[in-house]
Amino acid sequence: MSGRLPRALCLLAVGAAFALPLWVVLSLSLQAEGTGLGLGALAPPVPPHWENYGAAIGRMGGFARLLANTLLITVLSIAGQCFTCSLAGYAFARLSFRGRDALFVGVLAAMMLPEQVSALPRFLLFRTLGLVDTPWPLVLPTVLGGAPFFVFLFRQYFLALPVELGEAARLDGCSPWRAYWNVFLPLARPMLATVAIFTFLATWNDFWAPLVYLLSRSRR
Amino acid sequence: MRGLALLGAAWLAGSAARAAQGTRELVVMAEERHLTAWSALEELARGFEAEHEGVRVRLLPLGGAAGSQDKGRFLLAGDVPLDLLRIDVTELAAFAGEGALVDLAPFAAADPSWDAAAYFPGVLEPLRAGGHLYGLPSTFTPYVMYVNEALLAELGLARPRADWTWGEFLVLARAATADTDGDGRADRYGISLTQWLQAVAPWVWQAGGELLSADGERARMGEPEFVAALSFLHGLLHDERVASFDASFENQLTQGLFQAGRALFYGPVGYWETYRFRALPFAWDVVPLPRGAHAATSIAMTVYVVPRTAREPELAWRFLRRMAGEPYQRMLAEIGNGVPGRVDAARSPSFLAPGRAPASEAVFLDVLPEARFLPPLANWRKIESLCQSELEGILLVPDTDVAAACRAMAERTDAYLARERERGGRPRLPPGVLPAAGALSVLALVALVLTRPARRGRMARREERAAWALLAPWAAGFALFLLGPALVAGVLSLCEWSPLRALDDVRWVGLDNYARLASDPTFHASARATALYALGSVPLGLALALALALLVERASTASALVRTACYVPVLIAPVIVAALWRVLLEEDGPVNGALRALGLAGPAWLRDPAWVVPAFVLVSLWSVGAQMLVFLAALQARDRTLEEAARIDGAGAWRRFRHVTLPGLGPVVLFNAITGTVAACQVFAQPYVMTQGGPGDASRFLVLYVYESAFLHLELGYASALAWALFAGLGVLTFLFLRASRRRVHYAARAGGGPA
Repeated sequence: MSGRLPRALCLLAVGAAFALPLWVVLSLSLQAEGTGLGLGALAPPVPPHWENYGAAIGRMGGFARLLANTLLITVLSIAGQCFTCSLAGYAFARLSFRGRDALFVGVLAAMMLPEQVSALPRFLLFRTLGLVDTPWPLVLPTVLGGAPFFVFLFRQYFLALPVELGEAARLDGCSPWRAYWNVFLPLARPMLATVAIFTFLATWNDFWAPLVYLLSRSRR
Repeated sequence: MRGLALLGAAWLAGSAARAAQGTRELVVMAEERHLTAWSALEELARGFEAEHEGVRVRLLPLGGAAGSQDKGRFLLAGDVPLDLLRIDVTELAAFAGEGALVDLAPFAAADPSWDAAAYFPGVLEPLRAGGHLYGLPSTFTPYVMYVNEALLAELGLARPRADWTWGEFLVLARAATADTDGDGRADRYGISLTQWLQAVAPWVWQAGGELLSADGERARMGEPEFVAALSFLHGLLHDERVASFDASFENQLTQGLFQAGRALFYGPVGYWETYRFRALPFAWDVVPLPRGAHAATSIAMTVYVVPRTAREPELAWRFLRRMAGEPYQRMLAEIGNGVPGRVDAARSPSFLAPGRAPASEAVFLDVLPEARFLPPLANWRKIESLCQSELEGILLVPDTDVAAACRAMAERTDAYLARERERGGRPRLPPGVLPAAGALSVLALVALVLTRPARRGRMARREERAAWALLAPWAAGFALFLLGPALVAGVLSLCEWSPLRALDDVRWVGLDNYARLASDPTFHASARATALYALGSVPLGLALALALALLVERASTASALVRTACYVPVLIAPVIVAALWRVLLEEDGPVNGALRALGLAGPAWLRDPAWVVPAFVLVSLWSVGAQMLVFLAALQARDRTLEEAARIDGAGAWRRFRHVTLPGLGPVVLFNAITGTVAACQVFAQPYVMTQGGPGDASRFLVLYVYESAFLHLELGYASALAWALFAGLGVLTFLFLRASRRRVHYAARAGGGPA
């Protein structure tokens, strides 16, 4: 194969380009306080200053509890999001009801809605409900399928499954719920995994909502 | 799984129960940057509880992280019950003006032990506007100049006298400026300058200028004294070239020029830096600012205020007295939090501790007679952000017309002050309208269904009921958390409202906000920057993602490794990615270091208006792994028979890709293009962390501007109008994409087709 060497070089270059910035953070995080920046950051930190991590965790205070809270919120969000969005996606894809197509256009439009449009009115809503400084504002919107994108993904996925599947279930006397729970949901495992990963990333990386909604030290 | 759900439910119920407990509770939003200060505050709270039966003090940390100031605003905006809040004194006038603070004067009058004379006279002044008392000081600091003693000694220069002048400063600064590594560029400077409004104000005051007129109704930034002051600053940077900027005073990763021995002076800046420098092994001290025509410097101060939402204002006053009392103030001085507002604590050995750096700590007290607050007339954070782009232009861009930039600052500030005056004449929005707009979302959903013709037949009706039962949880969330709030924002876009005011003080302005969009230069710059960013990052991102997907498509260890390397950046929080790239893209950072090694001179990425958008495009390309993964999935699921056929027909690799593989990927490209454009137009965390929109307005992307309008400018109506304009723009763009793609994108006619 003539293309072998160029390909290998390409792989090497790309891998290095993407990995180098990561290496820089790692290296910086292990360097002595006050070491310079610049190309020096590329050199391996000798000796590694592992105590930086201890100091950082100490500065955060109650690290284990913070981690546990984040985990719990994340798990609840993932489970809720997968469930409600797959339900809605299934209804959009496989059931017919009045206003379905108009509502789906609404879903598509909502995908384009900047988060900031609804952020403050949503805060006012949670204030009215007296839920600020509880985990609810973080959990409720995701559990109730806050992201239209995921509904869209599930609908597309269920649409692509063979038509006969639903028909067979119906002939066997399955209710739409049974068809969803016993036939479609198990088939949607790849999509469930995708949505779970996306939700995990979104929740884990969320910076704004916890900052705004979780005020007490014990809950962050 | 079930166990976890139960655990979660128990936890949620527990937190709800805790919130419902109804003893007398004092909620204090405090500061936690120094753990010792925090534990001392906790101790103070326990002591207070011991003396007051049935009272519990709940201390909440503001958090030293980015956005902590915004958090205080969010709390006030959200009407969260809060008894004491720590804010910056520059915010006090705006908060008090919006009716967001409780006047403490009656409590002070009824308190026999209250003695205003215990505090530095100037320090209480901004808190006592119009006979009110809106808070008590925590700590304050006048702005001074830090000097690198080691460098001073190394260069054989004499230490400046206490009443030195800018002329003397220039002599020292010129002597320090040098090119130490011989690459033809200066890398050691006379001064590392700070660049926010409060740090620039001393120059203006020293030149005899002012920022605002005495009644606060007119900007004076276009006047000759102001222009002269900023011309002097501009000259230091671009004519004399003896000045540069500290990398970033809050960025712990980067090394400031000053600490690195690459700037002789650092300032004008406050006491807070002493805490940082004490931990570092170099010799430094503080000196007063040099004198101009007049002697003047700025003061910064943090104060505790009692918000309108306080449930226990009287208790709050008593706790406030403790926090502003002598023992606690002494303790803050010992920790090095700032200059205590109380005279006895400031003159005590706790503050002027012998043997502690800086040797000339008394300078902070000596300069007090000439130190000034920004006049308590206006929303300074807003004025600062209105002026920021011009200010940065003056400081960063060599050929700026300083006088014109100053006039522009004055015009923007005047326009804002005029709008403030007009506000009182606007009609109020009836209180029920906003909740009604939210409820409309549910009505709209119901109406949407009821207006369609009903379907016939028992089976069809059963299916319909089942469908709605399945949709219900999602539809409830959709109406409650997305559609409803968006509609409320739509109504707000026709109103004028500061989130600090009560909800019954929303003023109706009709289409004024949308009319303002047409004439707002910041909006235009913002839209331009966003368009440039999208035009750069979307096509390049698509091309790179596709190229990477093709490169790592094959199953081999090397491919898998590179695939992982490309995907890992996606897993890192945008805020962290931004913080990382801010370091990498420093003028003397690793990226430019690498470029120099290749013989290329890298630009000052984040400080050059021409390079800042490309810098953000570069950052976006690093996170292209998500799109790569979508392409990869499509590539691996594709039908290879056509390519095989083309190969047998003698088509080369490129032609096979161009005419067979690429058309097959059409729907995926379209999908990535649309989601990529939507994401690009909503970029926020990166500019928020990396540039705050600068230099000038060059990276003030739309969503950042929305955020600033809402929480810095406190114009929620205008912010909503901006957000809706962005939404409309994205809708049009998507429509155009779909229209244009109709002829070019071919969908395979098989049942188990591609992902989109």
